[in-house]
Amino acid sequence: MALGRFLLKRGIQGVLVVWGVVTAVFLLRFITPGDPVTFVAPLDAGAELRAQIASELGLDQPLYVQYADYIAGLLQGNMGYSYLRGTEASTIVLARVPATGERAVAATVVATVIAIPLGVISATRRRDPADYGATLFSLVGISTPNFWLGIMLILVLSVQFDLFPTSRRPIGLFETLAFLVTIENGIAAPMNVDAFLNGLWTWLWHIALPAVTLGTYFTALVTRLTRSGMVEELGQPYVRAARAKGLPESLIQYKHALQNTLIPIVTVLGLQLGTLIGGAVITEAVFAWPGLGTLVINAINVRDWPLIQGSLIVIGTGFVLINIFVDTLYAYLNPRVVH
Amino acid sequence: MSRDDSDVNRRTYLKYVGGTAAAVGLAGCSDDSGDGEDTGDGGDGSDGSDDGGDEEQLPEPESRKEHLERANLRLNERAPWIFLNRQYSVYGIASRLDWDARRDERIEAQAISVTDGEPSVTITQSSMDSGLDPHDHRETPTDNIVVQAHDGVLGRNADGDIADGLATDYERLEEGRVRFEIRDGVTFHNGDKLRPSDIAYSVNRVVDEDVGITSPQNDQLAGVTGAEVVDGGVEITSDGINPIVFSLFASYCKVVQQDWIESRESSEINSDMNGTGPFQVVEYEQDVKIVYEPYADYWGNVPDIEELTIRSASESSTRVSQLLAGETDLIVNLPPQEVSRVRDEDATEVTAVPSTRVVFNAMRYDVEPFSSAEFRQALNYAIDVDSIIENILQGFADATGQPTLEGFVGYNGDLGPYPQDVEQAEQLVEDSGHAGAEITLETPVGRYLRDVEMAQAVASQIDELSNVSCEIDQRDFASLAGEVTSGNIENMPHFYLLGWGNTTFDASQTIIPLLTSGGALSSYREDEDVNELMSESQSLPGGN
Repeated sequence: MALGRFLLKRGIQGVLVVWGVVTAVFLLRFITPGDPVTFVAPLDAGAELRAQIASELGLDQPLYVQYADYIAGLLQGNMGYSYLRGTEASTIVLARVPATGERAVAATVVATVIAIPLGVISATRRRDPADYGATLFSLVGISTPNFWLGIMLILVLSVQFDLFPTSRRPIGLFETLAFLVTIENGIAAPMNVDAFLNGLWTWLWHIALPAVTLGTYFTALVTRLTRSGMVEELGQPYVRAARAKGLPESLIQYKHALQNTLIPIVTVLGLQLGTLIGGAVITEAVFAWPGLGTLVINAINVRDWPLIQGSLIVIGTGFVLINIFVDTLYAYLNPRVVH
Repeated sequence: MSRDDSDVNRRTYLKYVGGTAAAVGLAGCSDDSGDGEDTGDGGDGSDGSDDGGDEEQLPEPESRKEHLERANLRLNERAPWIFLNRQYSVYGIASRLDWDARRDERIEAQAISVTDGEPSVTITQSSMDSGLDPHDHRETPTDNIVVQAHDGVLGRNADGDIADGLATDYERLEEGRVRFEIRDGVTFHNGDKLRPSDIAYSVNRVVDEDVGITSPQNDQLAGVTGAEVVDGGVEITSDGINPIVFSLFASYCKVVQQDWIESRESSEINSDMNGTGPFQVVEYEQDVKIVYEPYADYWGNVPDIEELTIRSASESSTRVSQLLAGETDLIVNLPPQEVSRVRDEDATEVTAVPSTRVVFNAMRYDVEPFSSAEFRQALNYAIDVDSIIENILQGFADATGQPTLEGFVGYNGDLGPYPQDVEQAEQLVEDSGHAGAEITLETPVGRYLRDVEMAQAVASQIDELSNVSCEIDQRDFASLAGEVTSGNIENMPHFYLLGWGNTTFDASQTIIPLLTSGGALSSYREDEDVNELMSESQSLPGGN
């Protein structure tokens, strides 16, 4: 029950945050220079034609009318129509979500898989070459701008040694998984395992460099966090008690100390995952990765507000959902927070 | 053209034309000048366009070409811009392809031939389309995607000359009315036959807001008022004589099938194409790629390429890496600093062609200190354009001293770029009465090839004058463009860097919008001589 109330409270807070994001993003357009009509109208358009276009786009309405229309549309799943493309903003925005999600999750997986063991090794072998190596890696990782790292990885691993493709996302993870689960006329079609494996390989091959590029900073950060957390935990009385009881050192390190260290790490992971969804625009550009970041930048350049608003709302909602998930996980790892 | 050559040309021409015009121009080319040329200004903040009797000393222009050339002379003298350069379109291309770049920046893949390897071609541009509706965009990347599948009424060859398209013959019937005879045996990709009414509909869809959409290409068919089918041909009406009407149709207005368009929602029209062009769409993934195959029933030569793919990568370094790794065959907008990387590889080459884009620094005629022609001339003399081209653009540009580019109708071959002459510039600033002026050059970031670097060089060279200080303000292009295109000169920046592409190859389509009183983007609206010359030129035959 306590967990249920906790989640309900977080859910309500999340809704309020999303509403705040929607309102803030909506108001942003009125304080941002640049008129969308400029990009839609012919260059020699007179005042009358400009007014007509503004009217067609609904930009001639009072602020509160535009806001009410927008909220009403959102509640029906309608984010409006892209000024330039003329198609539904929601269709364009949602089509970008898988690419962004895959990239963020892949970067997080790369970071977690590398950083946590590295942090543990670093903490348990203090002042050992392994510790110095991990520390150096962390410093370099945190200090390296990811756009530079991305370009270097492309130049060395793609252009020079031809080990990875330079860029692009020829297939998505969901499209790959669809080879395993295809419903035709209500009946599950036979699994196409070869196509799945080919798709999975192509996907992994293409996402490797973006994931490493984006995950490096993250890896370094989590390595440092893990190390400092573990060092602190290993000095706690309960660890001394466990050792006195004769428990194996690996059990003490990985079951007891690491589990307690994970609590702040999970919080950071959640925050970083949210950042990865909205950020990493430059990484997307370097790898020609068709995600939300580049969509937002391109839309800002031409003041395509339905696309800007739609993208930011999706990013904001994603951030809120991830944080609710992290809070839930946090409550599971440390039940005291529920109370 | 070297600075010395241009100097000689300016001298020669101005000696020929004589009179006050010579005084204005020659003063800029000689070392012993600065004696109060352009006296009409007087440094009082007004442009002083009555400076002169310039035209009294010159033979009256008769033909349209002479009118346009005279307008360019006048603009060179009055210096409403700092004339910078004509940029090149620079491409990286796989050596296995044979292709000549076009001057109008379009990539028509039909002209590409594969000399080695798979008969498939991938092109990577800086962005994908903003929708596939041929009449609802005005950016080059979308153009490049649309032109593979859609033909125009007329076309252009690689040199920019008018060529036949879906019309096999065209003639001017009377002032304001021209006629196109339509090619037989042409079919759309869905197999339906092309009808003259499709062409009339396509024209009306662009120029008439009541036909389908408010097309942003409306101004590209400037002066055209409508089209109708008459006796199996299509007749186009215009306001006035519209001397460049054929030139406009050679560059703009792709032909669509009326039934196909009218039976579809906007979202469908923006995600598929049914043209008469050499390629038909096989696969379209918005923002990601478009794949074509040759259209077997194409009325012209069916392309050799078996599969054409167009993709995008916004980062130039990514495009270069894709080319070097063999993942693409042709990349656009190769930046100067990447040229050697592409050139040094055996499997790749660089190809460049002078574009139709002029880059300039506009100065508002109605605000001090830019209201003084002497001050504007001084800024032109302060700049070493050749150095900017050599050091910032690695030679991929040509210096210019007029708004019209070489090869365009109305280009004045006797006008060279302003030479750098710091003493002359400082003297002109003194004469203008604006010594000590502090000015700011507003520049977009990343809109044009090395725009910020060019602006920094311009500002730095102006700042080196002893009596003017200059700094730059880097602007988001969207907000800068919004101010420039607002239609209200009061909203325009005082001094800004801009580029202007003109694929009609006619001077009027640069001068009228940018440098006349009625121009939508004009920063120079008070020169009656230019207004009159341009107005007269538009009532005379003689387009490209």
